[in-house]
Amino acid sequence: MIVKQKQVYCRPALCTACRICANACAVVHEGVANPRLGRITIRRNAFERYEFQELCRHCEEAPCVDACMVGCIEKDDETGIVTNDDRCVGCWMCVMVCPYGGIKRDVVKQMAIKCDQCKDIGDPVCVKVCPTGALVYEEREDAPEEPFFTGPTVA
Amino acid sequence: MSETRPLCINAVVNLSDRTVELIETPEEVLRKFVGGRGLNMYYLYKYLKPQSDPLSPDNVLIIGTGLLTGTLAPNTGRHNVTCKSPESGALGDANIGGFFGPEMRFAGIDRLIILGKADKPVYLYLEDGKIEIRDATPYWGLTTNQTEIQLRRDLGSDIEVECIGPAGENLVRFACTRSGVKNAAGRCGTGAVWGSKNLKAVVARGTRGIPIHDPQGMLQKFIELRDYITKSKMIATLGRVGTPLLYDVSNYLGAIRTHNSQQTVFFDTLNAEEVHKYVLKMLSCYGCVVHCRHRNSYGGEGPEYTTEVLLGANIGVADTGQMIDLNNIANDLGLDVSSLGTYIAWAIELFERGYLDEKTAGRFLRFGDYEMSKELIYDIAYRRGFGDMLAEGSLLVDKFGPETADFLIAVKGIPQSDPHDVRYLKAFALGIATSSRGADHLRSRPTLEILDLPAEFTRQIYGGPIDPNPTSYNTKGRVVTYTETILAVVDCVGICKFICHLWNSPHNLNYDHYRELIKLATGLEFSKEELVEVGRRVVDQERLINYQEKGITRKDDTLPARYFDEPMPSARAKGSHIDRQGFDKMLDEYYELHGWDKEGMLPPERVAELNKLRDL
Repeated sequence: MIVKQKQVYCRPALCTACRICANACAVVHEGVANPRLGRITIRRNAFERYEFQELCRHCEEAPCVDACMVGCIEKDDETGIVTNDDRCVGCWMCVMVCPYGGIKRDVVKQMAIKCDQCKDIGDPVCVKVCPTGALVYEEREDAPEEPFFTGPTVA
Repeated sequence: MSETRPLCINAVVNLSDRTVELIETPEEVLRKFVGGRGLNMYYLYKYLKPQSDPLSPDNVLIIGTGLLTGTLAPNTGRHNVTCKSPESGALGDANIGGFFGPEMRFAGIDRLIILGKADKPVYLYLEDGKIEIRDATPYWGLTTNQTEIQLRRDLGSDIEVECIGPAGENLVRFACTRSGVKNAAGRCGTGAVWGSKNLKAVVARGTRGIPIHDPQGMLQKFIELRDYITKSKMIATLGRVGTPLLYDVSNYLGAIRTHNSQQTVFFDTLNAEEVHKYVLKMLSCYGCVVHCRHRNSYGGEGPEYTTEVLLGANIGVADTGQMIDLNNIANDLGLDVSSLGTYIAWAIELFERGYLDEKTAGRFLRFGDYEMSKELIYDIAYRRGFGDMLAEGSLLVDKFGPETADFLIAVKGIPQSDPHDVRYLKAFALGIATSSRGADHLRSRPTLEILDLPAEFTRQIYGGPIDPNPTSYNTKGRVVTYTETILAVVDCVGICKFICHLWNSPHNLNYDHYRELIKLATGLEFSKEELVEVGRRVVDQERLINYQEKGITRKDDTLPARYFDEPMPSARAKGSHIDRQGFDKMLDEYYELHGWDKEGMLPPERVAELNKLRDL
């Protein structure tokens, strides 16, 4: 069953690579500051000149759900949100099958780090903190293709 | 997650013995100096053998993050690089943004205290509390951009790097420390100290988090402050065009340093809107809500207002593209653009006045010659021909003759960083004269008192009545003291000055905001008075280091002769100069508010207090 759902969308042209989204995610979910521990990743390379956002898209047919060998990744039928839990054993199969780089590894805890759209605490924190509007949380019929560059300025 | 970690872990790395020792900062010291620039000063005073040669193994190189660096407080991408300056022989200190500082903290190290000298090129690798001293022979000789690109290829793309380029390796006395495409701990020649220690780079990769005392509170506070800060028109403009917005303002006033401050008005081609034709996108440092950094279409980042004037107007280059090209080259080679542009302009003026001939300079020096300037920049970084001579910076005064010092726009051996000709704004002039690291605007930058603000409002801010007339010498000591103190605190905390109270707006973050943020992030409680005292203590500590290393007193708190003796030639500021009596009056007031004596010396009780803390 396909559920129409609100999603976090990126607008790359507006992203300045400050990593506040990822850091806020880590602070709220882990109690520590470090963008590496956030569920969203901002890949940036100032030399190759890109800022690229990787996050879980809560796929209609999520490959991570099938790949998880302990069955701890589930897609909620009603909300469409894909979540994992602490039964995770750190086999990283989900990390491997995700086509979007949306799942990360916590190498200290040996568990996958995965977005749950902040379902227990309200609207996604990453969207709430973004200073430029590069992240939006909305329901879209068809995601319009976002340009990488809109022009010389931002926001 | 109940991760615990001391608030400040310092790694003492001895490159001569190849040893690493981790030490914690005692809470008593942390409360007195907070972090960043403050603790850097504390440790410099502790570890530096008095009167050491800055380029000898005895110099101490400190890379220290602020107390809030890397946390969710806004604009916390900053840290300080501190040492004894090879350019001035006094204090050397520079603040740098980007991503390296936070990464270093994620790697479990808050401050690196680097001693000794490696026998061959090395780089430091930091990961999760471990520090390795590794061979850097393959990277030696590469420019800063090449170094970072190569290190990323070799070690993975998720590292952050701080490094030096050819200028630092060749001990150019105004080489800078670099990170990313543009971020630089620019001033005071910190890069040469890296080079003298055979230290090419520091690489950090951190998977650990910095524990946040109150995560929910921190999140709410961040959102509140972000909305508050970005509401400001000044911040919005900075985010749109960056610091070049100031060019037009200074130019209109007739206070742009042009042709080595012989002129004060330059072409409109360096206006923000012209510069912006070369900009692809605006970028942020770590955790920044302002995004003032340009990605330019010539393959680099920038230019800042400082660069566009010092590698533009000051050396007579009016073409926007050519100026941006020089900016990219200087950054890549690892040169401090403020010093570089000042020295080149100085050399050109000396050439015009006959102190230098074509034989010594190896070429005909003239203003507005882009090709010549470009060639000279490379020659300085690689120490070739006349460039080798110019790489000695302000020490050349001894070689060229004391009268040539009158044409060098520098204080305490460090050229002026800000492109603004300070003869009109008297408080600004006092600021660069008294700054602890030579002619530098980032220590105080008082510009706000001249705005048309209600008298009662400014009286409350500064703690006393303020004369808003920019050309008056009254009350300017108070203005400088106030801004100097709060900017010292901001550097200790690790927040960017662009969102600091009185930097560009009276509404930016002040002491109360810092207190709240420190409480939320670390759980430590500071009173406002305590933070003010931290700022004052840091300024005093720097004064003491300067006195110990170079005997700096009132005679050194002065301005380039040109600012006293030559009235400004053009536009609205025409006729302005600094009156020596007026200047002395400002200096008296400034010393008095600092509690220093007439000669600008610290009271013995303060010296005793700082010595006691040092010996803890």
